[in-house]
Amino acid sequence: MTDYLIQTDALTVQYGRKRALDKLTLNVARGGIHAIVGANGAGKSTLFRVLLGFETASAGSARILGCDSGALTPALRGRIGFVNEEHTLPGWMRVDQLTAMQRRQYPQWSQGRFEAVARNFHVLPEQKITELSRGERAGVNLALALAQCPELLVLDEPTLGLDVVAKRAFLEALMISCHDTASTVVYCSHQMEEIERVADNLIILERGRLRHMSAPSDFCERVQLWVAEFPFREPDLSVLPGVLDIARIDGFTHFVVFDQGDDFGVHLRLLGARSAHAMPVSLDRAVNGFLSSGHISTTPLSAAA
Amino acid sequence: MLQIATGDPRPINRQIVDGVRRLIASGELPVGAALPSVRGLAQQLTINPNTVAKAYSELTAEGWLDARAGLGLFVAIPRQRLSNDERARRLDDAVQRFVGDVIGLDYPSDVVLDRVAGELDVCLPKKSA
Repeated sequence: MTDYLIQTDALTVQYGRKRALDKLTLNVARGGIHAIVGANGAGKSTLFRVLLGFETASAGSARILGCDSGALTPALRGRIGFVNEEHTLPGWMRVDQLTAMQRRQYPQWSQGRFEAVARNFHVLPEQKITELSRGERAGVNLALALAQCPELLVLDEPTLGLDVVAKRAFLEALMISCHDTASTVVYCSHQMEEIERVADNLIILERGRLRHMSAPSDFCERVQLWVAEFPFREPDLSVLPGVLDIARIDGFTHFVVFDQGDDFGVHLRLLGARSAHAMPVSLDRAVNGFLSSGHISTTPLSAAA
Repeated sequence: MLQIATGDPRPINRQIVDGVRRLIASGELPVGAALPSVRGLAQQLTINPNTVAKAYSELTAEGWLDARAGLGLFVAIPRQRLSNDERARRLDDAVQRFVGDVIGLDYPSDVVLDRVAGELDVCLPKKSA
């Protein structure tokens, strides 16, 4: 039986008339790095808040490490690390005071790990938190979370606003430590370049629902770009199967399609295409196509202009 | 030296597999040469160690690399690693992809063929003597 660290069943969170999570059913297995992507407002942060017990669900259930999220004990919390996007840390403390406090709270605390990670960010123990740059604060926050040796590490857009050097140091520390200790990471991000490097598993949320889950490379293989030329009037394209996104560029029609084989080319030719070529797409394009599928515009750009 | 690029239509583990094959075929990685450790290559390229491990296990399964317990991975002595059908299928795939890529570039076919022959000369061991 698969060992799931996160399980939600028909999880719903309602803010007034707005549904942040809409009957979300999601199972995240132990091991590896899981990346959650989704447009703004897809429900990523809400999901984290419910899972960590900061917020109650309107309906459905959420379990983390096998325990109901609403009933987490301090011992269970000690097995979960959390890094929030603002890297909120007590500003009046010095780095060494902060680590001393954490050390008392987490029985598995590893000072060696804290120092190994913090070293990448050139943070000194006597520095005050308020005097740290955003990147340094992110590094301290990650080092604190990793030093508690969590089974599960949850990160909410951890690299937002970091420069390339800080981002690289952050990702390297995250990946190598998790590899060495076999902890599971669940994190959300908007940065595909980063996800491509980091993630074993890609979870796509849209408007509070699960749209897709698989390895990023498997997902990429199922998305293709077809470029077709319609010499005469463009036919009704709504009959085409699996279309995620349509763009018209210089007389050619570009289709991002999901789960379509060579048949799609046959379809295009039957509709009057003079030429039709398929090509693979990058993860970035694939995810964008997938997320824009809700908003296909069939008005040509020229007519809209 | 292995390079990977994000935003490439080829997934990163594919890029590593292709890159290592190329390095071995061109002799840059000679038989018996040690490969970087999973952790080391992951660190060097800032990618997930699991991705490197996946690529390495594919290369080992195809017979490009040998695992020596406790020591790591080494370039294996070449042998035919694939069935004839599989070789034919892969050649066909590669040719189709290549033709698709260059067809629009408007080069006469002898220019294209010369370039391919030149690349192959660099990569493939000489059959003479």
